[in-house]
Amino acid sequence: MNNLLQFIIKHIHWFVFLIYMVVSCILLFRSNPYQQSVYLSSANSVASTVFEGYSAVTSYFGLKSANEEMQQQNTALLLEVAQLKKQLRNYQLQIPDTTGILAKSEQEYSFVVANVISNSVSQPANFITIDRGSLDGIMPEMGVVGHDGVVGIVNVVGKHTARIISLINPYTRLSCKVKKNDKFGTLIWNGEDYRYATLIELPRDGKYAKGDSVVTSGYSSLFPEGIMVGIIEGEDKAMSSNFMAMKVKLSTNFSQLKNVSAIHNKMKVELKALESKDNNPNGAKPKEEKK
Amino acid sequence: MGRTTIQFIVLWVVLVLVQAIFSKIMLFDVATPIVFIYLLLRLPIGLSYNIGFTVAFITGLTIDMYNNTQGMNALSSLLISSIRTKVFYTFVTRDDETVHIIPSIKSVGTGNYLKYAGSLTFIYCLLVFFIQAFTFHNVPLTLMRIVCSFALSLVLIYAIDSLVNTRREKR
Repeated sequence: MNNLLQFIIKHIHWFVFLIYMVVSCILLFRSNPYQQSVYLSSANSVASTVFEGYSAVTSYFGLKSANEEMQQQNTALLLEVAQLKKQLRNYQLQIPDTTGILAKSEQEYSFVVANVISNSVSQPANFITIDRGSLDGIMPEMGVVGHDGVVGIVNVVGKHTARIISLINPYTRLSCKVKKNDKFGTLIWNGEDYRYATLIELPRDGKYAKGDSVVTSGYSSLFPEGIMVGIIEGEDKAMSSNFMAMKVKLSTNFSQLKNVSAIHNKMKVELKALESKDNNPNGAKPKEEKK
Repeated sequence: MGRTTIQFIVLWVVLVLVQAIFSKIMLFDVATPIVFIYLLLRLPIGLSYNIGFTVAFITGLTIDMYNNTQGMNALSSLLISSIRTKVFYTFVTRDDETVHIIPSIKSVGTGNYLKYAGSLTFIYCLLVFFIQAFTFHNVPLTLMRIVCSFALSLVLIYAIDSLVNTRREKR
């Protein structure tokens, strides 16, 4: 026993080394980014203070181009609003009951606008940190969109900051469809180029051409249907098998991300409750029996 | 001793903050500057292993926190700090004076320091980029990143060391 104690004391630094190594390996090989603690991510208060300061300085540099971009977008949106209003007026003349339809579908989602304070595009798994947190209404698993399309999904939320799993992260799988023919697939990122992703599991019976738009399918409660994701660039033959795979040029420019909006789906709680009932059809019965 | 510790803490804070921003950079899509390992290179050679490992682990974990790369830098820093002394004595002859030495250009000479810092930086880049990439298969790109990041980092570490030592001489 004495010898053992002496041995341990003599080589205690190797035990310290081993403990640190085990802790590092546990952190490293824990594969699910959703289980991470907020303290070990860039959404914690120390990291976010640094990034906020950095972003406060650097955000002035791109103001001119950001302004131009917004102006362009504003014009496009104004045109679209005018066109939609015109369409709606036509429909209202045809069927009087449609007055409430659009208003209702719009109310299903609300937005929280946020600034990007930290972002990466060069890592094999990329994350984005924003300057809004739980106090501003951000919750885990909210969809996040930018000016040009889908950006990612919120995963770790602090009080004033949150971390988003970027679309260019191998853990992200997004249900998408080709706008032209409504064929569904899953968008994944292969870890190489931040401008491109791959749309896999597309049925072979559809016809896909370069330039076709890829939008969100609306199958998950994260994103409304029809939000722009990217444009088909061509077939990704390496990933094609029984299903087709398409290389997609992402519409969001991740290297110049400044402002994003997190989408709050008001129906999400109801949808989740329904889904859990579906998964466990007997789950609700015992409660009723007690009553 | 107290003064050296305070100087080290100040340097630690500065370099960690600089690294937090540098990690976002990738020059020409291949080179990321890694400057915080200068902290690990600078630890006195005679420092107890326990303190050395702890400093390396905490430093790595802090960098991981900023980069959202849990455990990756912590593990690499820890491995670097475990071989640091051995690498140092491959290039510098062991004697009574070198036991408490702080490795720098001034204390061991440019050639020896570059060999010491160069080998550790290269091993660090090798570790980090292969841990980062082990789920992917793009080996040429990974190798390119290792070599370019190593070269860039070594230049920066050399610059930092010159800067830190000049400042000391002025005092």
